[in-house]
Amino acid sequence: MNGVSEIVRFENVGMRYRLGAEVLHDVSFGLPAGSFHFLTGPSGAGKSSILRLMYLAQRPSRGSVSMFGRDVSTLPRAELAALRRRIGVVFQDFRLLDHLSALDNVALPLRVAGARGDHIREHVAELLRWVGLEGQIDDRPPTLSGGEQQRVAIARAVISRPQILLADEPTGNVDDDIALRLMYLLEELNKIGTTVVVATHNESLIERFRHPRFHIEDGLLTGPHVRPESRP
Amino acid sequence: MSRYVGDVPLDNDPASRYLPWTVGLLVFLATLALAVGMVLSTAGDVWRENLSGTLTVQVSPDAGDETLEMRVNRVIDLLKETPGVDSVQRLSAERIDELMEPWLGSQAGGLDLPMPALIDVSVSDGAEIDIEALAIRLAEAAPGTAVDDHAVWLRRLSAFAGVAETVAFAVIVVILLSAVSTVIFTTRTGLAIHREVVEVLHLMGAQDAYVARQFQRHALRLSGIGAAAGFVAGAAAVQALGFFGAGIGGGLLPDFSLSAWQWGGLVALPVAATLLVVATVGFTVTRTLNRMP
Repeated sequence: MNGVSEIVRFENVGMRYRLGAEVLHDVSFGLPAGSFHFLTGPSGAGKSSILRLMYLAQRPSRGSVSMFGRDVSTLPRAELAALRRRIGVVFQDFRLLDHLSALDNVALPLRVAGARGDHIREHVAELLRWVGLEGQIDDRPPTLSGGEQQRVAIARAVISRPQILLADEPTGNVDDDIALRLMYLLEELNKIGTTVVVATHNESLIERFRHPRFHIEDGLLTGPHVRPESRP
Repeated sequence: MSRYVGDVPLDNDPASRYLPWTVGLLVFLATLALAVGMVLSTAGDVWRENLSGTLTVQVSPDAGDETLEMRVNRVIDLLKETPGVDSVQRLSAERIDELMEPWLGSQAGGLDLPMPALIDVSVSDGAEIDIEALAIRLAEAAPGTAVDDHAVWLRRLSAFAGVAETVAFAVIVVILLSAVSTVIFTTRTGLAIHREVVEVLHLMGAQDAYVARQFQRHALRLSGIGAAAGFVAGAAAVQALGFFGAGIGGGLLPDFSLSAWQWGGLVALPVAATLLVVATVGFTVTRTLNRMP
């Protein structure tokens, strides 16, 4: 798949951290806009590295990575910030700022983008209601449960209506009910046009939601593996 | 609703806790150094103004066969004929007694000591008199006559004032460099402590300038407090020096009182120091972030 509708394109991407061994080898794939994919593989296989390349925390050591039709391997550093605002990320460890309230955590992407204060509060409060946290708006992350923290992290990832949402093991720290709720939430976002990539170990969720999956092992990517009933 | 405290929680950093004290101390020292530089600059101007364009001619009381009066009159006549001399005035005996009073006491006039005659000579503006040639001519006309050339004093005073001013301003530069290096260290420590927060902001699309502003606002507040306190203490010290210096009197010390524009210069110091700190913080943060992808 290589066309204007692709939101992500990797071409023969190799990646190493500093002078270490290569952790990704000749990775090539594309993601159409509006698609939903799982990214699976054992721990240390390279899932997080692929996500890091997609959320522009890293540049490839070789090959090219294009996001939104722009080659970010060679793009000037100053132009990456604007692209990052089009990407929502749910980190495995949430990475919430403990000194800020749930509202202020979720508002971060809007503040970073220069939104006005009244605009921010209105939107954030509405989104926190949507994820079921209307009662915890002023609570700080250390006082929230794991599931609540995760919902704050998701709200923060989607508040600026990103074109692509990347979730790294989003169900890793929550029970099955919350994991299921989270997946429905991600599906809702996908339905309104957000491209979603979920890196996960959770086979039952993959089985249940049956989206195409990429599999990575020892830095080599295969896929997408499409299930008969899967929705691209 | 909880109060928004900024994206980066800098308030509790151990390193930044010392920033107001450091900036305050450096501004205090810089205020003193600048005030001393200004005082010396003014004193140098006053000395130059008082001494330039004048000569003092001294006629010894016991040289040659002629009386002192005869020799003094001949010297005065010769001086009046000299091109470039504006006016010639012999100092009265009372004035000489006054000049001798610091050394001989108030009874100097009654001691019947052989006093030299002193003649004040004003030189016209821009006139250049060959002092050595004049001294020879005067000594030939009236033995025991010497010319006290104030230009020698002037040169020494000017050189002293110039060196002292340079040292004062060099001290200010050293102080500012110390401030800059302290701020760079503090900012780097802050960045290291809050690396994860900064990385989250960075991944959300924050420009380097946005992150830098978080640190700059914090530095502005802390260094502003420190600079204001340091200036108040420095200004009080300058006032105290002026007060006690004036009490000594006798022309031994330069006048420590500052003019309005000099005070303006001192007031600009804490403002400049604060701006320097804020600019250094911004530069340090953006330079460090530049290493991120």
